Amino acid sequence: MNAVPEARHLSARDLEPILEVAAKLAAPFDLTRMLTEVSDAARHVLDAERCTVWLYDRESDELVLRLASDLKDVRISTDKGIAGACARSRRVINVSDCYADPRFDASLDRKSGFRTRCMLTMPMVSYDDRLVGVMQVLNKRGGVFDSFDERLAAALAAQCAVALQRVRMTEALIESEKMHQELQTARVVQMSSLPAAMPEVPSYDLYGATRPAEETGGDTFDLTRVGERVLVVLGDATGHGIGPALAVTQMQAMLRMAFRLGADLEHAFVNANNLLLGAMPADRFVTAFIGLLDPATHSIRFHSGGQAPIFHYRAATRDFAIFWPTSPPLAAVPLEALKPAVTLELHPGDILALISDGFFEYCNDTGEPFGEARVQALVAANANGPMKRLGDLLYEAVRTFAGTAPQEDDMTVVVVKRKGPGGRGTFKRAIDAVEDIFRFTEETFGREGLGPDLRIPVDFALEELFTNVVKYGNQTDAGVHVEITPIAGGVEVTMIEEDAIRFDPTERPPVDITLPLEQRTAGGLGIHLVAKMLDGLQYSYDEARREGRTTIRKMTPKAEGAA
Amino acid sequence: MLTIDHGGEGVVVISGRLDASQSPAAQTFLDQVNGPVTLDCRKLEYISSAGLGVLLKTQKRLMAANGGLRLAGVSRHVRDVFQYSGFDKIFEIEPAAE
Repeated sequence: MNAVPEARHLSARDLEPILEVAAKLAAPFDLTRMLTEVSDAARHVLDAERCTVWLYDRESDELVLRLASDLKDVRISTDKGIAGACARSRRVINVSDCYADPRFDASLDRKSGFRTRCMLTMPMVSYDDRLVGVMQVLNKRGGVFDSFDERLAAALAAQCAVALQRVRMTEALIESEKMHQELQTARVVQMSSLPAAMPEVPSYDLYGATRPAEETGGDTFDLTRVGERVLVVLGDATGHGIGPALAVTQMQAMLRMAFRLGADLEHAFVNANNLLLGAMPADRFVTAFIGLLDPATHSIRFHSGGQAPIFHYRAATRDFAIFWPTSPPLAAVPLEALKPAVTLELHPGDILALISDGFFEYCNDTGEPFGEARVQALVAANANGPMKRLGDLLYEAVRTFAGTAPQEDDMTVVVVKRKGPGGRGTFKRAIDAVEDIFRFTEETFGREGLGPDLRIPVDFALEELFTNVVKYGNQTDAGVHVEITPIAGGVEVTMIEEDAIRFDPTERPPVDITLPLEQRTAGGLGIHLVAKMLDGLQYSYDEARREGRTTIRKMTPKAEGAA
Repeated sequence: MLTIDHGGEGVVVISGRLDASQSPAAQTFLDQVNGPVTLDCRKLEYISSAGLGVLLKTQKRLMAANGGLRLAGVSRHVRDVFQYSGFDKIFEIEPAAE
């Protein structure tokens, strides 16, 4: 690769210092030490006063001087100077009188006070033929560099190139691994600050979830009780990497603290803004919805710092009211005062849906974003089911839409649903009416977002109670009513029997379930099983109205450990 | 809501909901079967005490003739009902694969 004169072959003795160098160059793993080793080796082997090692920066096509005793981080273009000429030609350049060479840049000498007399400049090229840098040895002691030095230098430069390449790659690897680990740690912190369980609030179905992107994103959410109210947060920090993950975690901690200490919405919002402004880099900000749900008045007061659109699904009209930010994003500008907060009323069946832009902006293979209309359609279509199911369906829909396109941003969903008013049905006294009851429970449970793990035992209890009324109650046309009411963590169901004879199922004698086959009957089993399968069974009888009321409760079973 | 039919040699397939309104039809069908019978319950979603009564009566009749009902592919709900009623001691029950 170099036009080196073949004047003299390197003898084994000549190679000795180079081999020593090779052994030394095997050790260092950091660039600074490696550069020192290379520089020392070159001075030693070539008997020179000084050595300068330029590293080639491919991106900027510049040579970068990382090490010299009195100069630091000089950058030169490869179209300048002798080093540049060497980088371009990849040939050894031997200049015996620098100040006579027009390519020589004397400015470095002027800065350093060193006077360069003669100079040998050699390219450092790695095995894969990439330029790693340029090495310059200055001022041969007692003379100038000859062709033997050029041979020696070429061999040395090849060694150094490989060693430097190795260190640079190792450093890049270590750096990316370090970044990766730091990011993982930040992610763990970010995820661990999310609510572990959804708060159980009577007549509300609350659900939040976030799915982090592989490398980037800074979403967070919160659904947590503060006194009588529920804090509802969706936050999204801009930028990539560790910063955003930690910024949203910090914001969430601040908000929880502020509200638990009794701060009002405005103070908490302004303080979080101003604290984050001081703590975050100038080009970063956090979009955030911060709201307080008051379950007693069914209203949510909120501020939104740049977080939009905010969807309010209205069950009565099956449409959406859309709200926009009340303030710039958090940490964008100092805030003194705020516009008034927005208060929205949740009517039975209404849903507040907060969706991070990771959903809206998720593009499929053809570059089309998922968009807002698809989100709205899914919310409307699944407004009657459990909110967890809506969340799952949103993720599933994006996945299906996206095809093979990777997830670029965190995707977070927070939904607050005010449950419907439950239901009441009236049934005729006939065995076949159990089918009508089942249709009624299926419809009502679906609307209220109550799952089959609650519905099947309730169906069972209603069938047993109802068939008892039909078989043993008064022969009358008076109605039998069923009322279904969602309660925190479960459902309460009451069967009301008009024109009733007093019959208290809780006073039934126990059934001996250990009898052998021939002595068993199905009689009395029904109530026994109701008591086993349900979480509450109460009976009351109103003498004056001749009305019997049986109330059962079924609570959502706790998740069982994995089998 | 309930279907019940023969499903090959010694197998009866039952699916849907075996509740009070469906029990008479199920009883009529099961009164016709004989010998050892496997009741394929993989699609049986629901059973009430009325349904238990149907199976109990059938079991008593078959056992007296050295036959019997074996329940296969039993769902969680149906298994609970059998367990809480002690019927798991009267019938051989094979739970559904989960």
